[in-house]
Amino acid sequence: MIEKSAGRSSVVFRLAGSLLILLALLTLSSCSRHNGSNGKGAKASAAMDSTLVIAMLGDADYLNPVIGATVTSSNIFGLIYPSLLQSEFDTTTGLMNYMALEKKLRAVTPGQGKKAPKGAVAKSWRLSEDHKSLTYILRNDAFWDDGKPIVSADFKFSYQLYGNPVIASARQQYLAELIGAEKGKVDFDKAIETPNDTTLIFRFYKPVPEQLALFHTSLTPLPAHRWKNVKPDEFRHSPLNLTPLGAGPYKLKNWKQQQEILLVSSRKSNLPKPGTIPAISFKVVPDYTVRVTQLQTGAVDVVENIKPEDFTALLKANSQIKIKTVGLRVYDYVGWSNIDQAEYRKNGTFKPHPLFGSARVRVALTNAIDRQAIIDGYLKQYGVICNNDISPSLKWAYNNRITPHPYDPAKASAILKSEGWLPGPDGILQKNGKRFSFVLYTNSGNARRNYASVIIQQNLRAIGIDCKLDVQESNVFFENLQSGKLDAWMAGWSIGLEIDPLDSWGSDLKKSRFNFPGYRNPRIDELCELAKQKMDPLEAKPYWLEYQEILHRDQPITFLYWIKETQGFSKRIEGEELNISGTFYNVDDWRLKPSANIAQ
Amino acid sequence: MLIYIFKRLLIAVPLIFGVLTLTFFIIRLAPGDPAAFFIQPGISPNVAEQIRAQYGLNDPLPLQYFKWLANVLQGDFGRSFSRAQQPVFDVIADALPITVTIAALTLVANFTFGILIGIISAVRQNTFLDRFLTVTALFFYSMPEFWFALMMIILLALKFPVFPVSGLNEIGAESYGTLGFLLDRFWHLVLPVTVLSINGAAGIARYVRGSMLEVIRQDYIRTARAKGLPEHVVIFKHALRNALLPVITLMGSSLPFIFSGALFIEVIFAFPGMGRVTVEAIFARDYPLIIANTFISGSLIVLGNLFADVLYAVADPRIKL
Repeated sequence: MIEKSAGRSSVVFRLAGSLLILLALLTLSSCSRHNGSNGKGAKASAAMDSTLVIAMLGDADYLNPVIGATVTSSNIFGLIYPSLLQSEFDTTTGLMNYMALEKKLRAVTPGQGKKAPKGAVAKSWRLSEDHKSLTYILRNDAFWDDGKPIVSADFKFSYQLYGNPVIASARQQYLAELIGAEKGKVDFDKAIETPNDTTLIFRFYKPVPEQLALFHTSLTPLPAHRWKNVKPDEFRHSPLNLTPLGAGPYKLKNWKQQQEILLVSSRKSNLPKPGTIPAISFKVVPDYTVRVTQLQTGAVDVVENIKPEDFTALLKANSQIKIKTVGLRVYDYVGWSNIDQAEYRKNGTFKPHPLFGSARVRVALTNAIDRQAIIDGYLKQYGVICNNDISPSLKWAYNNRITPHPYDPAKASAILKSEGWLPGPDGILQKNGKRFSFVLYTNSGNARRNYASVIIQQNLRAIGIDCKLDVQESNVFFENLQSGKLDAWMAGWSIGLEIDPLDSWGSDLKKSRFNFPGYRNPRIDELCELAKQKMDPLEAKPYWLEYQEILHRDQPITFLYWIKETQGFSKRIEGEELNISGTFYNVDDWRLKPSANIAQ
Repeated sequence: MLIYIFKRLLIAVPLIFGVLTLTFFIIRLAPGDPAAFFIQPGISPNVAEQIRAQYGLNDPLPLQYFKWLANVLQGDFGRSFSRAQQPVFDVIADALPITVTIAALTLVANFTFGILIGIISAVRQNTFLDRFLTVTALFFYSMPEFWFALMMIILLALKFPVFPVSGLNEIGAESYGTLGFLLDRFWHLVLPVTVLSINGAAGIARYVRGSMLEVIRQDYIRTARAKGLPEHVVIFKHALRNALLPVITLMGSSLPFIFSGALFIEVIFAFPGMGRVTVEAIFARDYPLIIANTFISGSLIVLGNLFADVLYAVADPRIKL
């Protein structure tokens, strides 16, 4: 028996032993392969040296400016396609500047103007006296990558695509001022004229401020000669989408869907010039932890939106990383239903919401929430208290005379008391038998909002308000929000660089798609209308100052904090300028230090 | 047996069809809107409506169903909403090879190590080795895989950078030549396959140990030993073949896994496989893609079960189909 079991085990051990050896061999071979790639594999390290790797959450939807709708897509097709004008956000004034080769909308403030106007296809422009027609003169030395010239007809052709309802471009509101748009259908024969290859005329049905006219007429063009035979209903799935023909500093080398988009510098480009870094790889890395780890190991060079809580560990682990910030464009808020949503949906009538219907109550709620504690605890120096939806970065319009509502629970209690909310037997405030109790909804998967919501819950409990928390899947949350099913919610907002708040605060709730709280103040409508009529945005400043005071007083929602977006960069990148208009705004000018200089 | 297989396949048709019909209605009744992405500031209010019209979502539900049915009967599952309107089977065809590679490697590793460890623990029952293997197997079996994956990354990609953190190939791997490229691919697959198979192998080892112990006590094993057969013949020819019957069931039911993919591995290691296709389709409310995925995984579950039943008959002559 003993002998037998010894025999049995020896067979098993022999087998296990040989397997172990096999495993060890495999591991060794893979190790040596790896070391080879670092040490001797000159090819691989040369590839790394000339390739900038940018991590992205998900793949681009389309590398086609007409239908590409995600930020990732526009970052990438912006490098491939030419643009009529160059635009730049002036951080000293907070105004957008537009540049053609020989003309600028505004003088460039010293220290600004990092973007060369050489990238613009337009040589100059002229806006008519009545602000109803805009004539561009195009340069004659701009070419698509296949050698064909970029002509005015390309722009007209592209605008027809942007305006085609079958193609359903996400940018069709750029056409909103063109002739015919007031009747629902742009009349392209009248609205866009191309008397010759270098003259492009846009005609508007109403006077349009120069800045807006330039903004709305400078959509990215497609090469007409390549796309003209594609039927509109086949536009979205045309194979041409996979092989974009552009004229910009980079061109597409390879697109492995859901994995990597590889761009290479376009040697022939003069719009403005071939990209400095030979290749840029946009790599899809869906998991946040892995993105951060890859930044740490040097496998990627840029990771956007790194959470402040990870900075210390990241910088300690790898001194070759720097954190850069851009902002302020994004804020979080707590939304309060100003009106009784059920009543509005049923009868279309407006009744104040039983809890949040009074502006004074909403101010009290803002007083009760310790916004600074949320910033100190989570965002740290990357957060700023938010008073309203005009960003401090839009310096020309920002009202810096407004003092933020302080964190003052005593004041909050006093206001609530004067509004008739008195403590009930269970410690929760009551008014006419109704308890001050509600559910605060937010979308899942946002650590910052989770953190904030818990503090808000505690703050409100301290003054006798019962706030329950509920997290919903994003799609469900958004649908509930749109259909007015939520009384209180927490969400965020990313502002545009042109101020146009009617969508959020206009009194006509059918038109104002994002007025989820149902806030209605006729003076806000008036101010927005008055501001729109000014042909120079700076003249609208007084209206925007008043607008901010009203929002501050009415607190349709509790504005929480502005967020500085924090991006992680490898120090081997040089020459990067981050701008509120985008992290990759001058990526064609970035340089890479050779790897010998990078000390591990 | 052929008649049996044919009958089973025939029953499968209405079954899968029923599953698809149910899926069709459930996803449309669930809250959420495939065009929701286009409802955002800066995007004209018309766009969402135009997109819905393109997708045919404005039709009444029964009409949508019959249109869909007519297309499916012609083998057309439609185009994906969320992935640049690619035909859904193109999307799946891109993702499937990646998933199959990982899953096939994993399955081989799973069963090789699982069966081996199972045999060792059974043959050396109640020894230190057996207890050690049992405890180790349980330890890995109860470990959450996503956490284990992250720990492996921290250990073997960050602290001791032996393996890459994620992706299928190095930047510039195309220049290595075919062999170099394959080795590079293999090197990228070591961590994910290890994570997936350690957990699976631990489970299989428990099955094999249990069933092996039962078989070893049988009379015919004693007979085999009594007639003086060498021990390896007894274990591998007489005992193992019988002990593997329950394992075959496992193998059959692993088939859908090969094609459905392991989501967390794909997310963590950034592989564009089937798991990510499915989950992203659900979050984007990409109806055609969800249905095509259901079709694939539903068919495979049916086939996997059939495959297991047939394997039974092959392994055990007592079973007649």
